[in-house]
Amino acid sequence: MSTTQGTHSLAFRVMRLCRPSFHVEAPLRVDASDLIVGEDIFDDPIAASRLPPLIDAHVTKLTDTSDLTYRTRFLLQHPSDSFGLTGLLVLPQAFGAIYLGETFCSYISINNSSNFEVRDVTIKAEIQTERQRILLLDTSKSPVESIRAGGRYDFIVEHDVKELGAHTLVCTAVYNDGDGDRKYLPQFFKFIVANPLSVRTKVRVVKETTYLEACIENHTKTNLYMDQVEFEPAQHWSANIVKADEHKSEKDSLSREIFKPPVLIRSGGGIHNYLYQLRSSSNGSAQSNILGKLQITWRTNLGEPGRLQTQQILGTPVTHKEIELCVMEVPSVINLDKPFSVHLNLKNHTERELGPFEVWLSQNDSLDEKAVMINGLQTMELPQLKAFGANDFHLNLIATKLGVQKITGITVFDKSEKKTHVPLPDLEIFVDLD
Amino acid sequence: MDSDTRDFQPEPVSLSADPLSSQFASLNDLAHELASLQDLANRGSWHSIPYKVRRARSHYLLNTPHDHLIYLAYNVLGLAKLRRFKDVITELDSVDDFDCHHYRYETYLKINPNRSGSVVPFSLRWLHALIPIKSGNYQEGLDRFYTLLDFVPGKLKEKQDHDILIKMWRKREHLGNKEFGVCLDLSKDLVSRGNLDPVLLSKLGYIQMQIGDFGGGKVNRNKALVYLVGKDYVSAVREYEECIERDPMDVVAINNKALCLMYLRALSDSIKVLENSLERVPIVALNETLVVNLCSMYELAYVKHSDIKRTLSNWIARVAPDDFDSSSTRI
Repeated sequence: MSTTQGTHSLAFRVMRLCRPSFHVEAPLRVDASDLIVGEDIFDDPIAASRLPPLIDAHVTKLTDTSDLTYRTRFLLQHPSDSFGLTGLLVLPQAFGAIYLGETFCSYISINNSSNFEVRDVTIKAEIQTERQRILLLDTSKSPVESIRAGGRYDFIVEHDVKELGAHTLVCTAVYNDGDGDRKYLPQFFKFIVANPLSVRTKVRVVKETTYLEACIENHTKTNLYMDQVEFEPAQHWSANIVKADEHKSEKDSLSREIFKPPVLIRSGGGIHNYLYQLRSSSNGSAQSNILGKLQITWRTNLGEPGRLQTQQILGTPVTHKEIELCVMEVPSVINLDKPFSVHLNLKNHTERELGPFEVWLSQNDSLDEKAVMINGLQTMELPQLKAFGANDFHLNLIATKLGVQKITGITVFDKSEKKTHVPLPDLEIFVDLD
Repeated sequence: MDSDTRDFQPEPVSLSADPLSSQFASLNDLAHELASLQDLANRGSWHSIPYKVRRARSHYLLNTPHDHLIYLAYNVLGLAKLRRFKDVITELDSVDDFDCHHYRYETYLKINPNRSGSVVPFSLRWLHALIPIKSGNYQEGLDRFYTLLDFVPGKLKEKQDHDILIKMWRKREHLGNKEFGVCLDLSKDLVSRGNLDPVLLSKLGYIQMQIGDFGGGKVNRNKALVYLVGKDYVSAVREYEECIERDPMDVVAINNKALCLMYLRALSDSIKVLENSLERVPIVALNETLVVNLCSMYELAYVKHSDIKRTLSNWIARVAPDDFDSSSTRI
């Protein structure tokens, strides 16, 4: 069986068959009355009555095939003609870019350009990627009996694109040519699959609600119509989307009923943000981080769909505090080198007894003297706390520097469990002269 | 009878004798040899128009400001159609400010005793705004369109008592607005964008087009589009065939039907539909988009497609109007 040496009777012709698009172009067409008279001529009542019939005689609708003029190329038949949207569809003019999540569709025609019939044609079409080889078409079980000279055999293949990077459409034909030789024709059509979108997420926890902000960025060369963007929560989570309130005037307008404003993300870097409110339905302290994933469906020209889903989105681990230290009161006037008292409260959030405790100001790493220090014993002893109990106490402090200063590092240490709890966040105070 | 009380009936002035009405008997009454200019434009002989304009000017055949402006309008339109944008800009630069007194009827009371207002044909204003966009100076064009959009509603307000005037200016406002719709990339994309529901899409289009009633053909075309978007090409073809039966010159239905056939793997049939239309109704079928589609199909169907494309291209050169974009044959 000879391979590609020598000429082939057959050749593959391939055309990407994504959906067609509307031809849109601002036409150079005018209304006759805008061309042949001054714009204010109709103010003159005689002109207003005499001109229209004259003009109509020259602007008749093209109903007759013997009317051999191209007037429709330069005169408007109807005001809407100026819109430039005739409804004419155009075939895809170039291969274009292919993105992950789209469907690759192609018209494949195998042509016999020789002067002889070819027989027993076995045709195969496959997509070869880095990872795999996917069969799209195989006629080996029932080969095409013959393709006459000048004839063709056509087929259309479809493949959902699920991998990034280099792809090759491999078309092969094995046939008997005019001389009876068995020939093998391989043809390769390469294309690259790119990522159409990127999704950036941010998770914030406010009290018991977790908020997920998702920002979708469009990396393609066309605008994307966001058909559906849905968050699928993981087990134990429920989600609902948070949208901005509509402007009152928009709610009532008639056009709102007919035309829902679409979510359209601009090409080449446009973004759109989505906000979801998530609630955890499980009360156990053993919680996984996984919040769920986003399912995204978009559409391009004439409804051409694309689908992607994100990986699992992780939230911040929710830590239940066992011990909570709060500042209850700080004096409004704090003077330099004068002791002052801060009222604090220690709460036990667990169902067991905790403590006893020690409270101190932790040392920072620098050798500088701290601006605010404990006045007196550097460690304070606190008794045990029963389940869900709380204890008020006062820390006696002194400030050694003027101006805005921070009380940092108030730390609570559980003596029996030998556990240091997260220190209280920094507290700002203003230190004045006496 | 007494001579003083003799009945006296003024004779009715016959139509042809009435000096005012004779101004509107034919196109040539409106401007010098206007009928001939209009005929050239109808036939798509745009190359001839700049020639005729130059000749009329150099032979001092244009006597009124009206004549000059009409000829200017045709010239600008013709040069734009031929994509000779440098020449268009030169022509437009030769015009004074549109609102100056030279271009008003009342300045020329001898010619138009009862007329007042602007002599400028509206298409000149529109072309003045459109040309920068067509020749690549998008921002300048957009600015001019904004000015135009301000101008038109002002005129509408002025003319509110006159029905016909309202009709005229509404049409013009329309023109301005729709140009905008096309110019703004986003709305253009929105219209060609795949909304899940193409009925919505065409409704959007139609609302914008302010059409209240749909012709039968248009409704069918919408139905066909719904099928097409749903990939039911068989039904789409059927709908388009109904359109063509109703109007054999519906080039949109013909073109789109051919495309649907191709998506049904019937490439030979789609080629036949388009070739047949060029033979049967060349005046409407000879359209750049249809030719682009046909040539794309040739490239797919024939290994040696340049031959057949050349045959088509030669035929087009013989038959097509001067402004036909020959790059549509993809040669």
